[in-house]
Amino acid sequence: MNRLLAILFKISLAAILAFITLPLLVVIAASVSPTPAVTFRPSDWTLGWYAALWDSRWLDPFLLSVKLAATVSVASGVLGALGAYSVAYAKCPGHTAIMSFLLSPMSVPQIVKGVAIVLFLSSAGLFNLLGTPGLVVAHIVLTLPFVVRMAATAMFNFDKRLDRAARILGAGPAQRIRYVLLPLIRSGLFSGMTFAFILSFNNIPISVFLVKPGQTTLPITVINHLEYSLDPVLAAVNVASLLFILGAILLFEKIGGFSAQFHGGSK
Amino acid sequence: MSTIDIELHSVSKKFGANRIVKNVNLSIPKGKFVSILGPSGCGKTTTLNMIAGFESPTSGEIRIRGRDQNGVPPEARKIGLVFQNYALFPHMTVAENVGFGLKMQGRSRQEIAAGTKRALKSVRLEGFENRYPKELSGGQQQRVAVARAIAPSPSVLLLDEPLSNLDLKLREAMRVELKEIQQDLGMTFVYVTHDQEEAMAMSDRIIVMQGGVVAQEGAPADIYGRPRTSFVADFIGKSNILPISDVGDAETGNGSLRVLLEAAGVPIMAAPMPGLGPDKARFCCIRPEAVRLADAAGALDEPANLLTGTIQKVVNLGAYLEAWLLVDGGITLKSMIRSTRLDKLVVGRRVELAIAHAAVQLLEE
Repeated sequence: MNRLLAILFKISLAAILAFITLPLLVVIAASVSPTPAVTFRPSDWTLGWYAALWDSRWLDPFLLSVKLAATVSVASGVLGALGAYSVAYAKCPGHTAIMSFLLSPMSVPQIVKGVAIVLFLSSAGLFNLLGTPGLVVAHIVLTLPFVVRMAATAMFNFDKRLDRAARILGAGPAQRIRYVLLPLIRSGLFSGMTFAFILSFNNIPISVFLVKPGQTTLPITVINHLEYSLDPVLAAVNVASLLFILGAILLFEKIGGFSAQFHGGSK
Repeated sequence: MSTIDIELHSVSKKFGANRIVKNVNLSIPKGKFVSILGPSGCGKTTTLNMIAGFESPTSGEIRIRGRDQNGVPPEARKIGLVFQNYALFPHMTVAENVGFGLKMQGRSRQEIAAGTKRALKSVRLEGFENRYPKELSGGQQQRVAVARAIAPSPSVLLLDEPLSNLDLKLREAMRVELKEIQQDLGMTFVYVTHDQEEAMAMSDRIIVMQGGVVAQEGAPADIYGRPRTSFVADFIGKSNILPISDVGDAETGNGSLRVLLEAAGVPIMAAPMPGLGPDKARFCCIRPEAVRLADAAGALDEPANLLTGTIQKVVNLGAYLEAWLLVDGGITLKSMIRSTRLDKLVVGRRVELAIAHAAVQLLEE
């Protein structure tokens, strides 16, 4: 019986992985397809569509998306770490209520958040914040709960006796945060920041309300392009984004080391 | 004045309505190994935390090296602390852990390296500098914790039940080592524990706490040999604690007092208790090893009480026999007798017992 379950588990796992990865293979194949119609012919391929990406039409949105995601990730990281510190570590008065409040944006659909932010900006007469400033703020609203959640979990698991140990050894508040707390919550914080980066980089439902001509993110540019044509350039954009995200994750992992959490030798 | 490292003057601590520590006065002499001993909830850990600065007294004053510590945070007190669970920094190597205090003092790289090396040498843990705490055994982690605490050369080291997570053999070995480290460094050690054997084995001075107050304070031999209350007599070592009445005046000669063992109605002679009025004595304490067989081999060359009793039960503990003796009149005495006398201890046999006057200790409560 257990064996049967184990086999069923493996089959379903394989099916899920296939379901996630096979479409990617199709996209990769399409991105090297020689004809504008998205087809797959292994005998005959081209990197021409990738060359077409080296154009301000794609490069500008890409750079905006990268800057946006990086800014949002860092800002959410700082704000999230501070929020998690007072809520989960220092346990400020009303910390459970504040925690719920900080996490609440997660339960609002993104499209509702997008509409709400636009309505707020318009009723407050802040239309000039549309474009990059609005995007940054809206994406922070979107990503902050994830960062708070992960940083708070890390802080919650932090053994406070270590803080006392550092204290009796002469470490002041700033030194204790720098040498003891931050290194020990780093992996949690960085995985939250990685999340924030990816969420911001890929976001459509909120960005769609806030972009303006000349300040359009990459996913919105792809959607706009899709309205007029379905050609292999889109597949190339997607594959390039995918590689970029992979690279970003590896970079964050390198800095944050969140997959190797203290197997006796983190450094 | 300079010979006292830590003083507590009428220190009390309340948590809400609970008074955990009540009006405690202590002075801990420089360079001594002092234990604060008591059962859980007696206020010993709270007292330690107040000395360390993690808690502040509700009233009273704590002085370290003559200076009032009111408002001084732990990081400015320049004392060491060894935690019960060690609290080593998991993300730092042994060397980084041990060097942390020196680093916080802003010492140079060379000074940190030298201090780290010296501290690891005094706990005999050289060659482990680049390991992480997770890669060490409990005993090794313990040594790192001690090395980390002594590396910045504090004048006082506080230890909060540091051996309680180790197994028995290691614990006994570490007792000896801790004492040696203390003597080598000449540092004042304040050792908090609930383990009376540990306290007896290492301390120059023991402070017994009970219910937030100091029950008794003195050298280990004093605490063991002349307990003041039944709590202390019971907590430190084994003892027969018997209710007494009719405390008489001192007899001429050796100054022993005649008291009546209540349950048995038997009069015995007890050691005089300076500072304890005859009307205050409620119990007497007789250590099991003071209950001896009154024959040629067990004869005492000092004034002794002679009692007759029946052997009820004998347990062989190897080096010693533990025997329960029913004394005529109806009280049971526990005794520890050397195993060489096994042939004399037959259950049901009537025996003569000798208990030195000096071994019968009067207790207040």
